[in-house]
Amino acid sequence: MASEEKDGTTRPAERPLLVLDDVYAGYGRAAMVLRGLSVKVPPRTVVCLVGPNGAGKSTVLKVASGLLRPREGRVVVDGSDVTGQGPQQMLRSGLAHVLQGHSVFREMTVEENVLLGAYTLRDRARIAERVAFVQELFPIVGERWKQLAGLLSGGQQKQVEFARSLMIDPKVVLLDEPSMGLDPKTTATVFQQITRMRDAGTAVLLVEQNARRALETADLGCVLDLGRVHISGPAAELLADQRLSELYLGGRPRSTA
Amino acid sequence: MDGTLLFQSLVLGVLLGGLYAILAAGLTLYFGVMRVVMIAHAAFVILAAYLAWWFHRETGLDPLFSMVLTVPLFFVIGVLIQRVLITRLRPATLTMMSVLLTFAIALLIEGLLGLFWSGTQRRVQLSYSGDNFEFFGARIAVVKLIAFGLAVLSLALLFLLMKKTRFGLALRATIQHREAAQLVGIRTDWVAGIGFGIGLATAAIGGTALSLDATIYPSLHWSWIGPLMAIIVVGGLGSIPGTAIAALVLGVGQSLLQVELGTTWAQTLFYVALFLTLMLRPQGFFGGRLAQRF
Repeated sequence: MASEEKDGTTRPAERPLLVLDDVYAGYGRAAMVLRGLSVKVPPRTVVCLVGPNGAGKSTVLKVASGLLRPREGRVVVDGSDVTGQGPQQMLRSGLAHVLQGHSVFREMTVEENVLLGAYTLRDRARIAERVAFVQELFPIVGERWKQLAGLLSGGQQKQVEFARSLMIDPKVVLLDEPSMGLDPKTTATVFQQITRMRDAGTAVLLVEQNARRALETADLGCVLDLGRVHISGPAAELLADQRLSELYLGGRPRSTA
Repeated sequence: MDGTLLFQSLVLGVLLGGLYAILAAGLTLYFGVMRVVMIAHAAFVILAAYLAWWFHRETGLDPLFSMVLTVPLFFVIGVLIQRVLITRLRPATLTMMSVLLTFAIALLIEGLLGLFWSGTQRRVQLSYSGDNFEFFGARIAVVKLIAFGLAVLSLALLFLLMKKTRFGLALRATIQHREAAQLVGIRTDWVAGIGFGIGLATAAIGGTALSLDATIYPSLHWSWIGPLMAIIVVGGLGSIPGTAIAALVLGVGQSLLQVELGTTWAQTLFYVALFLTLMLRPQGFFGGRLAQRF
């Protein structure tokens, strides 16, 4: 599926939906985590950030969703500059963020969780339309509709979180380590869902520890190190790069047989 | 203990438990939403009781009417305390520092009460103060029943607010996962502020209920804050139904023990329950996971 995105359909002329431009950011008085980071997310594309622990992968997403204000640099969503805005405004401009680990509201039903994704929406017909959409995209969400979210398995909770984030019909979804703590089979499902999100029209900025697996799903990849993008390019090319594989992806490239 | 006395104690225990429940509800709310240990809650309760007494003395109207003023006033004070003071505490040490901060507020209120109304014991005298009626052989004071009714009514309102309103949904989401709540567009700082205001508004209701049937003096809050803290831990921090159940159970327990042991020793029930809870089930007996259920 990655290849069909790439054979001539990369769209360099299209305006990227999300641009982080020369961003510096950090926590408190500690040293900067991001030091001149730039990344672009084009429409209908899965962009994957990989890199060692502490490279600043999650911080990139926090800056994009407004949880963390950058010290320097710009955040641009679909052409408009939204630098320094909080999570509410970022949501309104079309960015949804799915946090690392479990972030469902555990003591609420799946229904309440998903509807909270539409907290900023008022139009009931629109909300119903989105509910139908996410239930179709993630069947498990519909099946477990009335159950407490905290009682679902890890993979199911992740899908509830995906569904919740898609309620506002975001331009870009930011996914922080979606496969964390999941078994291989569930991980495969989650990555499939990510491709389906993209095919349904949402761009994805993905952060993953599981770098090789993520690059196989992604269209574009960026290797982060020391708070900036070290190398970027089509995901397949990064996967095939021998030196990169040894440095960042743990071992040699797989044979393409 | 004969049957009548037992029943009498039981009824009194339930009435007392109701009052405990509304007084503790605010405490559990502050902790659930903001991880704040609000030592000054009982001081605000006593302040509300003083205001009810003063209102009655100045206007001659029933002290219950003072709530028209004190409930909104306490709500605003609560929002201000959260927005102006609590938010300045460092998140990493918020819970510890909130103990110190609210301890200071408690001392301040106690000092002001002494300054304005002296240390003299005060009591509201009403036409129906001494009235009571018989209920299956038990004697029930009308003022206790009014206090209980007030507590039940406001707890029910609080529960509906949490369960049925958009604000309640936002508050529950904030309690369960603050960052995720921000990411669906909830202004969690304002939710926390309003949550604090609601907590303090319950102190106004509880204090008014207390004023009907208690002799008040400025330092009275110290004998309340301990049992109330014990109740919210036993009930499971952050859980309003858990708090209500724990309050009823401990209220009845205290009332029954009083007959055999006297008032002072009956109070130890709270601390025994607190120790047992922390040893056996630190997440509380009725709340499930820490501070998440409603």
